[in-house]
Amino acid sequence: MIEPMTHLTEDERQAAADGTLPADRRALVDAHLAACDECAADVARIAEFMKRTRESTASAPAGAPSLDELWSPIRARIEATKVVALDTAGPSTSTRPFLWLVAAGVAAALVLTTFALRARPRDSQTSVATQVEADSTMLRAVADSTRAYEAEAQILLDRLEIQRATMRPEAKAAIDRNLRTVDVAIAELKDAIARDPRNPALRQLLATSYRQKVELLKRANAG
Amino acid sequence: MNAGAPGSVRIGTAELSSAAIADAVRRARQGDVDAFEIVYRAHAARIYALCRRMTGDDLQARDLVQDVFVRAWERLTTFREQSAFSTWLHRLGVNVVLEHLRSRKREDSRHTDANEWLAVPGSPAARLDTRMDLDKALARLPAGARTVFLLHDIEGYSHDEIAQMTGIAPGTARAQLWRARRALMGMLDA
Repeated sequence: MIEPMTHLTEDERQAAADGTLPADRRALVDAHLAACDECAADVARIAEFMKRTRESTASAPAGAPSLDELWSPIRARIEATKVVALDTAGPSTSTRPFLWLVAAGVAAALVLTTFALRARPRDSQTSVATQVEADSTMLRAVADSTRAYEAEAQILLDRLEIQRATMRPEAKAAIDRNLRTVDVAIAELKDAIARDPRNPALRQLLATSYRQKVELLKRANAG
Repeated sequence: MNAGAPGSVRIGTAELSSAAIADAVRRARQGDVDAFEIVYRAHAARIYALCRRMTGDDLQARDLVQDVFVRAWERLTTFREQSAFSTWLHRLGVNVVLEHLRSRKREDSRHTDANEWLAVPGSPAARLDTRMDLDKALARLPAGARTVFLLHDIEGYSHDEIAQMTGIAPGTARAQLWRARRALMGMLDA
């Protein structure tokens, strides 16, 4: 039994205010609150504060900024680790049409690389120190995403090595030729990014080339 | 948990219904990044609010919003449509922020709750002249107390759930909550 002049503990007041009092304590605490104005006023004050808090947090925080600009980096991070889904119709009986598509894609990437390198103006107003810092950050991000693709490509290359013994010579030659083409494109893009790390078109092209390489290897393994 | 699904959301000039957003979630689960952008625009403000309140810092919150949505993309296949997507995303957001706070705490082991409380204005002399809004007041709480307060009083988690999520004892969570409420009431002159 809680005596009227023995005030409720902090634990009891807070739990009475937020309704988390254990059932076996509720009646005693209610009886005390009915008799003690001081405790009743404190519990009411806490409850009122909680009510106001819930009301004020029902909406976004005051001065919430526009979040539109965050979508681009999110998308870039998603794309950097995303592998293009394979055709759900299953492996094709011939790799030739796909290989031509890869070759065409890589050729387009090379043309676009040249264009991207020429088109991007340098901002002469930006300080050298800021540029160096931004460039290193970007290079680290590119290296991180590159590692993921290269690890996946290596697994597929190892699998392909086992299959090579049973492949037709012309199929092997076609795969090797296209792998070389993709690898040349990747090497050139890496070189271009090292010189111009903040060029988003180059980074996108590198990701595309890696995806093409992974897809080419998957098809080769399936075919 | 009181994270309800938004009824509709304005994206650009278009007003999207819950059904359209649910459809975008389904397409995003199949790998459609454009659909995921719709999901992002529908939920970004709520996730930012969560991150902002839990960290008390705009820049950290913006970084965490990115982490939450990248994580959501990676885990989309684990989302079961029997539950509300907003609830699933919100829970994922809480976990991402808690991981961030834990790593921050490890990095800055000099800060204990005891000395963090010393910096919290609680006495009348330290009380701010003008009425602070809740977000500013929250930002001045020690990270542990802010987390417990937000998870319990704003997000609706129980003490046992909070103990499980944060790795602290339920009794400690309760004590942190009582202290956080009193400090906020002091700062907000409530």
